[in-house]
Amino acid sequence: MTLLLQRILDGLFNGSIYAALAVALAISHRATGRINLAQGEIGLVGAFVALALASPVGAFVAGSTLFAHLPGHPFSLRLATVVAVAVAAVFGAGLQAFVMRDFADLNPQRALNRSIALLICVSALSSGWWGGRARQFGELFPSSSRDYIGIFGARLRYTTIGAWVIVLLVCGIVHLFLTSTRTGLAFRALTAHRESAELSGIQPRRLMALGWAISGALAATAAALAASMSLIDTSLMFRTLIYGLAAVTLGGFDSLKGAVFGGIIVAQAQTLLPGYAGLPSEMSIVGALIVLILVLITRPWGLFGHRPVERV
Amino acid sequence: MTKEILSVQNVKASYGAIEALHGIDLVVNEGEIVVVLGANGAGKTTTLRAICNMLSTSGTVMLDGEDISKTDTASIVAKGVAHVPQGRGTFAALTVRENMEVGAYTRNDDEVEADIDMWFEKYPVLGERQKQAAGSLSGGEQQMLAVARAAMSRPRLMLLDEPSLGLAPLIIEDLFRTFAQINKEQGTSMLVVEQNANLALEIADRGYLIETGLITGSGTADELRNDPAVQAAYLGA
Repeated sequence: MTLLLQRILDGLFNGSIYAALAVALAISHRATGRINLAQGEIGLVGAFVALALASPVGAFVAGSTLFAHLPGHPFSLRLATVVAVAVAAVFGAGLQAFVMRDFADLNPQRALNRSIALLICVSALSSGWWGGRARQFGELFPSSSRDYIGIFGARLRYTTIGAWVIVLLVCGIVHLFLTSTRTGLAFRALTAHRESAELSGIQPRRLMALGWAISGALAATAAALAASMSLIDTSLMFRTLIYGLAAVTLGGFDSLKGAVFGGIIVAQAQTLLPGYAGLPSEMSIVGALIVLILVLITRPWGLFGHRPVERV
Repeated sequence: MTKEILSVQNVKASYGAIEALHGIDLVVNEGEIVVVLGANGAGKTTTLRAICNMLSTSGTVMLDGEDISKTDTASIVAKGVAHVPQGRGTFAALTVRENMEVGAYTRNDDEVEADIDMWFEKYPVLGERQKQAAGSLSGGEQQMLAVARAAMSRPRLMLLDEPSLGLAPLIIEDLFRTFAQINKEQGTSMLVVEQNANLALEIADRGYLIETGLITGSGTADELRNDPAVQAAYLGA
């Protein structure tokens, strides 16, 4: 029983990463109506920028010499992460405004091709600069063996609590922005009906870039959390993307709450199924994908998504 | 001296290789209701879309003496043009009230709430359902919402694309009364595209006939009503 609880609590940490990436995927999808497969890679660039900001010049992290002229360099990892999240937001907005300007206008097939091309390009970019061996990223939260809260004999680690506080805080801000600001309303109008939004005087291009900025920031948050748990290397977010995509499909692309719960469910399937269904741990991804397939068969619009209804 | 609020000069538009408009000329004067009559596929909808630069066109569109043929759609709307597209285009996932707020997106004054309340008084069914998703409204209610939302921007010119399509006769009459009222009370000029010639000519000052992408006739509402060709084609006489 304690073992089960421990596995659930351990799964919660990964859940926070998948949730953040799933929300990022949902927001960029809302902005442009197309899935941005490079979402994880955009976040990874953010995490590498954080590493470069926090590394002393001699550490051979690309960018650390570039940033060495900034006052206060090397930054503490937490400050570096906050700055890097902002950098990832600008990076995401820039990609949308310049490289992916016509993304929303492409038909689904071509959009998929373009999305894959962007994934490869951004991935090549970070491999060129930061490729090679996996590196230590560092700790964002206290994580010695004594930093946990005991719950019925199981351990809820501070890192898990910290990760969820950050992810829920960011998602809460995004939710507030969408529901109670004028720009947020315009963004939702654009998502609901692009042509009518333009006919209401809403400029779609700026909002699309804004959507990609928000999802860039969320993806960088996910990447920094993932990197802090293990090591950072250039394939870190490609693995995470599979789970993030499963999570957002599970929860429904049009629901932030759904994306967060999707992240939790996928992470739990990933930790629990190998333990209890006898799958080898290398097959943990299968657990997540089984859940995904079941949902796609029974509720293709996601657990929290809205069933599409068209009145004629 | 009448002042032209909209002047469309030799506008051509095409969908891919197929030219849908072969050079349209029409004028809307300030305060006028002008109707464009034509059959399915004549180019009525394309004409309205061309005015708002929603497809690639050649020719000139002047709004209040200013060339807007290269201006993007959202900026044209910000200049005081409201377009109610065919099929209504309500934001189904947003609430009725949010739809109205989006309609006022280009405004910066503090009378938005008062205007919304005014419309909810005019159409109580919208007021009762203001917190519901617009997608849950019936077809007629969605058309009311589309018109009210467009009017929320306090436009100087309204473009209405077959507002009567698919609606019950009583609702259509109510809708056209609303158009006449907006026109009279707020001085909004209107360009209405219709197949329902009877009602459209009743509220209109002038009209044009459009056939296969060309303007084939024009006149005052009375002239058109008494034109034997119009009677045969559109009035079922």
